Amino acid sequence: MIKAIIIDDERLARNELKKLLMDFPEIEVVAEGANANEGLEKIETINPDLVFLDIQMPGKTGFDMLAELDKAPYVIFTTAYDEHALKAFEVNALDYLLKPVEPKRLADAIQKLHIQEEKEPTVSNGITINREMLNEEDQVFVKDGERCWFVKLGEIRLFESVGNYAKVFFGPNKPLILKSLNALEERLDEKTFFRANRKHIVNLRMIDKIEPYFNGGLLLELKGGEKIEVSRRQTVKFKEMMSL
Amino acid sequence: MSLLKRVPTYWLYQLLGWGMVIIANAFFAYTFERLDEKYGYRLLLVALLGFSFSHLMRLVITRANILIKPIQQQILGFIFITVTFGIIIGLTESFIFKYFDLLRKSSNGKTLPTSVLIISNIFDSFVYLFIWNCIYYIYHYIQKSRRQQVDTLKLEALIKELELKTIKSHINPHFIFNALNSIRALIDENPGRARTAITELSNILRSSMQAEKLETVPFEKELNIVKDYLALEYIRFEDRLQIEYEIDEDTLDQPVPPMMLQTLVENAIKHGISKQLRGGVVKIISDFKSDHHELVVQNTGHLNGGINGDGFGLASTQNRLQLLFGEKANFTIREIYGNMVEAKVKLPVIIGV
Repeated sequence: MIKAIIIDDERLARNELKKLLMDFPEIEVVAEGANANEGLEKIETINPDLVFLDIQMPGKTGFDMLAELDKAPYVIFTTAYDEHALKAFEVNALDYLLKPVEPKRLADAIQKLHIQEEKEPTVSNGITINREMLNEEDQVFVKDGERCWFVKLGEIRLFESVGNYAKVFFGPNKPLILKSLNALEERLDEKTFFRANRKHIVNLRMIDKIEPYFNGGLLLELKGGEKIEVSRRQTVKFKEMMSL
Repeated sequence: MSLLKRVPTYWLYQLLGWGMVIIANAFFAYTFERLDEKYGYRLLLVALLGFSFSHLMRLVITRANILIKPIQQQILGFIFITVTFGIIIGLTESFIFKYFDLLRKSSNGKTLPTSVLIISNIFDSFVYLFIWNCIYYIYHYIQKSRRQQVDTLKLEALIKELELKTIKSHINPHFIFNALNSIRALIDENPGRARTAITELSNILRSSMQAEKLETVPFEKELNIVKDYLALEYIRFEDRLQIEYEIDEDTLDQPVPPMMLQTLVENAIKHGISKQLRGGVVKIISDFKSDHHELVVQNTGHLNGGINGDGFGLASTQNRLQLLFGEKANFTIREIYGNMVEAKVKLPVIIGV
């Protein structure tokens, strides 16, 4: 069974989607949300496998809502016609459905979800002992102006603190997210993500070179070419971890 | 032909004109048996002086930009220039005639008195230059009006094109697809309402297509479209949308630009109601205020710099009013009571429609 949530501000649009989903007995719509805040609440309490998400909603858009989540669920966007949103889709090939939804397109989207699930069976057995911890397979939704991405934590090389924001380095991109480095550190798996200094958290699997640095510190070179200094205090911890 | 093309029109006319002067005079002199050597020189001199001084005159005309001055100044300028140059040429001619002894002696061996000679020369030159100026002026006048016609046509085409673009974009695709989606959901839930919704949607689409052809429509027609539009949006927003009308029945016959109120109402929904978690009110008022017809759309929401940024609808509203009514119409948008936005269009009242 796949637990799904529908988030759309129009009751009729939600009903229509539910009706279309009746053809897919493996999908169970367990909750609905009429705006981004309701959606956030439902996602956090229910922890669904799948979210159907409208983009244009009062208050916050669907994109804004996702960006607030620590961990993004599997999302299929639904929109009537929105040039800005369509641009984001084209760039990043996010999965989306245009309203009125064509049953064939819906079937394709659900098929894609099944394929994904076979690759990572963890998706539906989401009963993790410590729900607060994020693992490498978890994805986050990152929005930077008009561009948006779903990024697996394992693909992220580096988090850099910029005021109240954190800059996220993955692939050729480095967008900003509204999260403090301390908050991130609490949620990230410390076996993979290491706090190198006050301003940086690095992905240990993305380290290319380690060099000694003055004052007994270390200089890490990441796969993207970024050079990060490890503070003296953290160097001790780093050596301990690495020697294990 | 290729040579003719390369010679600028002005020089061609100049040569032809003064050539004609020589030919015509020579012909008459020949008929009256007065064509002799001295006459030939005089004629040549007249044509030569005319040719060069009229060219000088043209320089003055173009330098002083006489052709683009108001009509009275143009006429005065032409008279002044013609007289001045007439006198200059007349005097020069008389001087040269005297100096080189080119004058014809009458049978009694006397020549004309100098004063008579000067006056007649000035008069002749004046006539030539007058004709020259008439041709010059008419030629440019025709050219100018032809250019203006082309410009006007171009401008008209441009305006039409712009208008078409604006009107075509009046109906937002987002609205159409959302409406269709709601209608599909209604087909099971409330088939009767679904049927009327389809009628409402067709009305809107039809009138948005017709609007391209019309400058104005009676307000009643526009209001019906807006009612259909809001009825459809009500299906979408349900209790989040409250609709209020305050219509003076006498304004129903007034002519209004098609799809204008519609655009304003669409903006009210798009930037107002759809941004509010709890929704809000859209109120439409049509009334006579002092000497004009006032159309008002009020909606819950805030003006957040959207006038310039997102204001395609607003800019096109302003442009259309300007095109149709000039200074007699105007458009304003402002925040009222702290939580409402009011868009107001003032239109001239048309009596006896």
